[in-house]
Amino acid sequence: MKKINKHVEEWFSDIPDNEHNQRIKEDIVMNLEEKVNDLMRLGKAEEDAVNKAIVDFGDIEDIKAELGVSGVKPRNRFSLHLGFSLWGSGLIIALSVFINFYYTPDSIWFVYPTFAVAWWPLSMFYKWLANR
Amino acid sequence: MIRSDIIRGHLDAIILRLIYEKDYYGYEISKEIGFRTYERFQIKEATLYAVFQRLERKELIESYLGDVSHGGKRRYYKITKLGKAYLRETIEEWKEIKEIINIFMEGLD
Repeated sequence: MKKINKHVEEWFSDIPDNEHNQRIKEDIVMNLEEKVNDLMRLGKAEEDAVNKAIVDFGDIEDIKAELGVSGVKPRNRFSLHLGFSLWGSGLIIALSVFINFYYTPDSIWFVYPTFAVAWWPLSMFYKWLANR
Repeated sequence: MIRSDIIRGHLDAIILRLIYEKDYYGYEISKEIGFRTYERFQIKEATLYAVFQRLERKELIESYLGDVSHGGKRRYYKITKLGKAYLRETIEEWKEIKEIINIFMEGLD
């Protein structure tokens, strides 16, 4: 029976621990224990019965949704895009700066591709800001 | 096992109906649903508790602590006045839906 307790604790690990949720937790443990007892009366070994009860329980996300706990926090996916665009444009700019000063140190032309490339992280920054 | 997503949309009503008949506690409801449907539909406990939370929040059911079972008091659920009214409305709605769907689902074999 300890195993049931352990599992329920695990399911509730990221649900805020208030009186209401504590009540649901206790209720679930009690109901699962009763189910295990029933299964054992039908001839299952205790371990099998506990496992079946736990597997049959279903998805805790259903309860989380009702309690207003969003399971996985939706990451701002544009932060990835923004990071990628910053790195990408940084590398392109660095390359043009290098070519500029290595081969044609007399004329400064690297600012033109720099401006062109700068639109990429800029637009991603806007997206990222809008999605925050 | 039948596809349960269609039933899912009607779980609130199914559970309200059971609680309408008498006060139930959690595990008792899942047993009763299995029993009445000849085990063709079994509700997952997680789903059941989610429904309890939703119905309680909408004040369609209430809970109270009842008799002592193994090591604790069971929590029973009873229907409220609002719940009864809601159930009646849902049943009327269901009759309507059933007729509409039947127009398209019947007569072909």
